[in-house]
Amino acid sequence: MSGSIHDAALLRVFDAVIFQKTADRFDCVGNLPSWFPPSGLSQEIELSPEQLLERSFFLQHFLHEAQPWWDSAETGQWKSGLWSEPALFGEDVVLEATAVRHGSVRYVILQRFGPEILPIQPLLQKAREEQLSHRQAVNHHERTEARLGSRLAKSEQERDDVMAVLDGLGLGAIMVDANREVTFISGKARELLQIDPDRMIGRSLVKGLPWKTEDNARVEAMGRLPVAQRQVVSVVMERKNRSTRALEIEVQDDPRDSRKTILLLKDVTEMEELRRQLVGPTQFHDLVGKCPTMRVVYERIRDIATVDVPVLIEGETGTGKELVARAVHQLSLRHDHPFLPVNCAGLTDSLLGSQLFGHKRGAFTGATSDHEGFFESAEGGTLLLDEIGDMPLSIQTTLLRVLQEGEIIRLGESRPRKVNVRVLAATNQHLQELVQKGAFRADLLYRIRVARLTIPPLRERREDIPLLSTAFFMKSRIALGKMHVLGIAPETMQRFLRYSWPGNVRELKGALEYALIHCRGESVLPTDLPPEMCDVSPAVQTSPFYKPNERQLILEALTQTKGKRAQAAKLIGMSRSTFYRRLADLNIVQEESFP
Amino acid sequence: MIQKKICMLGGFAVGKTSLVKRLVSGIFSEKYLTTVGVKIDQKSLSVRGQDILLVLWDLYGDDDFQKVRASYLRGASGYILVIDGTRKETVDVACRLHELALKTIGSVPFVLLLNKHDLVDEWVVECPVVSDLSDQACLVSMVSAKTGEGVEAAFSALSEAMLKS
Repeated sequence: MSGSIHDAALLRVFDAVIFQKTADRFDCVGNLPSWFPPSGLSQEIELSPEQLLERSFFLQHFLHEAQPWWDSAETGQWKSGLWSEPALFGEDVVLEATAVRHGSVRYVILQRFGPEILPIQPLLQKAREEQLSHRQAVNHHERTEARLGSRLAKSEQERDDVMAVLDGLGLGAIMVDANREVTFISGKARELLQIDPDRMIGRSLVKGLPWKTEDNARVEAMGRLPVAQRQVVSVVMERKNRSTRALEIEVQDDPRDSRKTILLLKDVTEMEELRRQLVGPTQFHDLVGKCPTMRVVYERIRDIATVDVPVLIEGETGTGKELVARAVHQLSLRHDHPFLPVNCAGLTDSLLGSQLFGHKRGAFTGATSDHEGFFESAEGGTLLLDEIGDMPLSIQTTLLRVLQEGEIIRLGESRPRKVNVRVLAATNQHLQELVQKGAFRADLLYRIRVARLTIPPLRERREDIPLLSTAFFMKSRIALGKMHVLGIAPETMQRFLRYSWPGNVRELKGALEYALIHCRGESVLPTDLPPEMCDVSPAVQTSPFYKPNERQLILEALTQTKGKRAQAAKLIGMSRSTFYRRLADLNIVQEESFP
Repeated sequence: MIQKKICMLGGFAVGKTSLVKRLVSGIFSEKYLTTVGVKIDQKSLSVRGQDILLVLWDLYGDDDFQKVRASYLRGASGYILVIDGTRKETVDVACRLHELALKTIGSVPFVLLLNKHDLVDEWVVECPVVSDLSDQACLVSMVSAKTGEGVEAAFSALSEAMLKS
């Protein structure tokens, strides 16, 4: 080592203290750098450089660790790594010890690294600060995520709770946004409507829900009304198993955003069924009525529907023959195929023939292309030939052949085509009389009346008038936007009951619509009715369908007034003329009304 | 006086230096200054009437930049594993260093400190996470170098354990 490591200039470059190991101690060699021993410390405790070395915990550890290396034959150097020991060397003094060997001589070189010459410090500091900063950001995001997750979970829990309550109450919920698109459907609503929520969410409310278009219109119309005027909308929908489900729909504004709507659905099928059982059936498909005659009609429709034979439906105009035909079709095995109604009246032979059986291009003037007739269009389904009594004889002949052979021949063609169509015929005429007059083929009549249904005129089922009136009223007031009209006045209903209804149910519907259009108050009054109903003759329009307790009411009034009819009429709020008429109608004689 | 070497072990910025400074000088600095190399401090404690000089080896934080040299652990009578309660990854570092200590110096007393208890609202480390270490430590304590909470008690507990062992 002498002659090289002792060189003063070299030691200055290293800025180091060098100790040489002798037998059992370390001696300082060469000149000491200015920083060693550290100022203050050596003066206070008056330690020599060698004593400092011996007092340093780190150096003692290092020398202990270096000993095996010194004893080995390894070359190079053994470094301690950076360390600081403020108690001995002062604050901010970073040192590193290196063990080296030169021949048999062992040395320890002690180097100082001040802040200005320790480049690793700022780099490490920056890298770790960035890591900490990143970690803090990640932690912040994680906490935010956790907080939001927690809020979401809480919201979902609250929503589930609300849904559970609604489900428990049998209420389904549908939420609709400002664009009238469905945004949410509760489990109960899915169950009630038998719909796939994935196919409903984001779709238009009108297009998405499985009830009728007019029901949708009613729901939409109800939503446009002020909250105070809204009422429950009753809807009957057909289920997949073809049974029906009765729903009551309450339209509410979303309390958080009035542009959004909440539909609350309540299943009232059971209640309706109980009601139906109590009062008897009031409706059969689209037919309304509960009178015994109509119940017989419903029974016969059920019987006839599943037997695939032609049916003749007879009834005056406006009695609902087409509705009966539709009910037959709906209940038949052909319900998944078309139902086509064709009016046979007022068309020429060739035009009706063309419509029914189709034609070939050029078959007649104006036949510019091949045309498929109704029989082909209704393939697999049902064809209603309305007003069949007005069908020209030539077409009757063709129709007979079609019914017998199950084949049609388009006009202008000779090739028969197989058709599979159930024929229902409807008429408001006595076909038997037409046969006798030669206007209708007897063989066709026998063919089409294999099964027969006769619809009673409205005047023969007056007890259904209140039911029909109410049904039409409820539908029409919404359709016409007359929500301020709340009911039909009793005197109007009386007039309905007395009227002869030559136009039957269709006329009743029209009369109600007329009255609603003209109605300005809360009730439909007799003055709102069409002119032809303003002068109803009681003598002609005798009706047995008064309220069951009316007789009792009149008798009690007469008893209380000791037979004074004017006073009795006043007592029960009836005009004298009406009162006298009721007495006659109800066969109440003076003797039985009071002693 | 009995001297005992204690190593402070843990990831970077878990608060090893701050804990030592709190113990030795009773002060705390908010400013983070990374430790380069090893810093040797001393602290005298009196444990059950017995004076003991703790030679505290505050080792640099173990991370991808610097790995703790096993040789620094040799001669230690005990060690303190420090975890930052706000950083989950410091648990893994503590576990790794515990393994290193076991391998290097065998089973000696150690305490497990979950530091930064003053920031408990931001903690992400839960006690079950450190249960394996907890079972072996002679003390598991939630401490705060900033407030001084639990610091001296932790060193005293380790001293007591070291004296017993």
